[in-house]
Amino acid sequence: MKIPRSFLTLAFLFLGMAFADAHAFLDHAEPKVGSSIKGSPTQVKVWFTQKLVAPFSQLQVFDASGHEIDKHDKKTDPSDQALLIVSVPPLKPGKYKVVWRAASVDTHVTHGDFEFEITP
Amino acid sequence: MFSSISTLRKSRNSSFQSHRSSCRTAFAAVLAATALISPGVLLGHGFEGDRFFPPTIQTDDPFATDELSLPNLSIFNNPAGDGSPKTREIDISSEFDKEIFPGFALGITGQYSVLQPKGAPSVSGWDNISVSAKYQLLQVPAHEFIFSVGVEWEIGGSGRYSLVNNYSTISPNIYFGKGFGDLPDSLKFFKPLAITGQLAEDFPVRSLDSNVFEWGFAVEYSLPYLEQHVKDTGMVRPFRDMIPLVEFAMQTPENRGGGGTTGTINPGVLWEGRYCQIGAEAMIPVNRQSGPNIGMVFNVQIYIDDIFPKLFGHPIFGGSENSLSSGTSK
Repeated sequence: MKIPRSFLTLAFLFLGMAFADAHAFLDHAEPKVGSSIKGSPTQVKVWFTQKLVAPFSQLQVFDASGHEIDKHDKKTDPSDQALLIVSVPPLKPGKYKVVWRAASVDTHVTHGDFEFEITP
Repeated sequence: MFSSISTLRKSRNSSFQSHRSSCRTAFAAVLAATALISPGVLLGHGFEGDRFFPPTIQTDDPFATDELSLPNLSIFNNPAGDGSPKTREIDISSEFDKEIFPGFALGITGQYSVLQPKGAPSVSGWDNISVSAKYQLLQVPAHEFIFSVGVEWEIGGSGRYSLVNNYSTISPNIYFGKGFGDLPDSLKFFKPLAITGQLAEDFPVRSLDSNVFEWGFAVEYSLPYLEQHVKDTGMVRPFRDMIPLVEFAMQTPENRGGGGTTGTINPGVLWEGRYCQIGAEAMIPVNRQSGPNIGMVFNVQIYIDDIFPKLFGHPIFGGSENSLSSGTSK
């Protein structure tokens, strides 16, 4: 079957051009998404699929009653700008919710949340 | 050879199949023009709350965003009937949508078709061009819900004369999408489920052909949603970037002896890459009138808002200059 030349031209035009950065999605986290762990972490870390713009990105941790319990010191890792970190105080056993907002370097914004649990 | 070659493809001559179509010179011109005059807020992609709704293949998604489907390739056998032999149909199509105002997009679609009737020479050429408008009427991010309305116009006679209908068809559409991320934690493994749907009524203009009610929906299970929002199962790539789904694309003629309901059930999978989505589905006819064999469809959806963030992913008019401080999820 003969493929129309116009299709091929447009396909190569788009696929051949230099790629920019894209939406930042959660790649993985510590503690892991939906995990149960023993003992309190000192930090919550979230790795994204793209480098972030720290001032416009957010990482918060809430306890089961909805109170924010992180130390409000969210930052990107200097050696890995796709890693967002926030410190937390010693956490008691229970469920915690991590809420993130990721602004990638090309200004796309995504957001989401996940939970983890600390068991006795 | 045949009184009307378009009868060879009667069972699938629907806006569902044509919505992923188009290209040609006009398409390239629209693409270039809109790219050059677009200012700067990055929306794009089909997000509602935490949910990313992927562009589906057989039915249109409810989002009025910048989208480029290129190409869409389907292979399907149309049944014999009404004096026409069984006919293999190969369609190569593309669709381009551009957000004009926030939540309002215009699209253009087209398709190149090859018809291979059994025992007769094949026929090929451009199908009719379709243009469309879509508006996002209601969005409830907390419940991952969206409802949109739109209209499509298949421009009669714009394709190869012997291959297409010479009359136009106007099709009002409604679209919806619902993610189930708001289910209780006791049902957490159902949270990655989502459903999208499209209902349309085809009104042929100045034709004795039947009005057709088109109804389709897609049931999706998003493995990225599972891994990012519910439970990190340790699934490796490329599987954690996949969205298994089943699409239903049905047509029910309503008058003028249009016949019974036809359509296909389309199980498949979408793979979400950084700059594109690649999808494949089987096309299983729901009855003998819909087709004698299983077909296949392949689709590449190019995320032009990620590849050209300064040109796409934002409306031409009415967007703010900086989305970073807006708090939206797009």
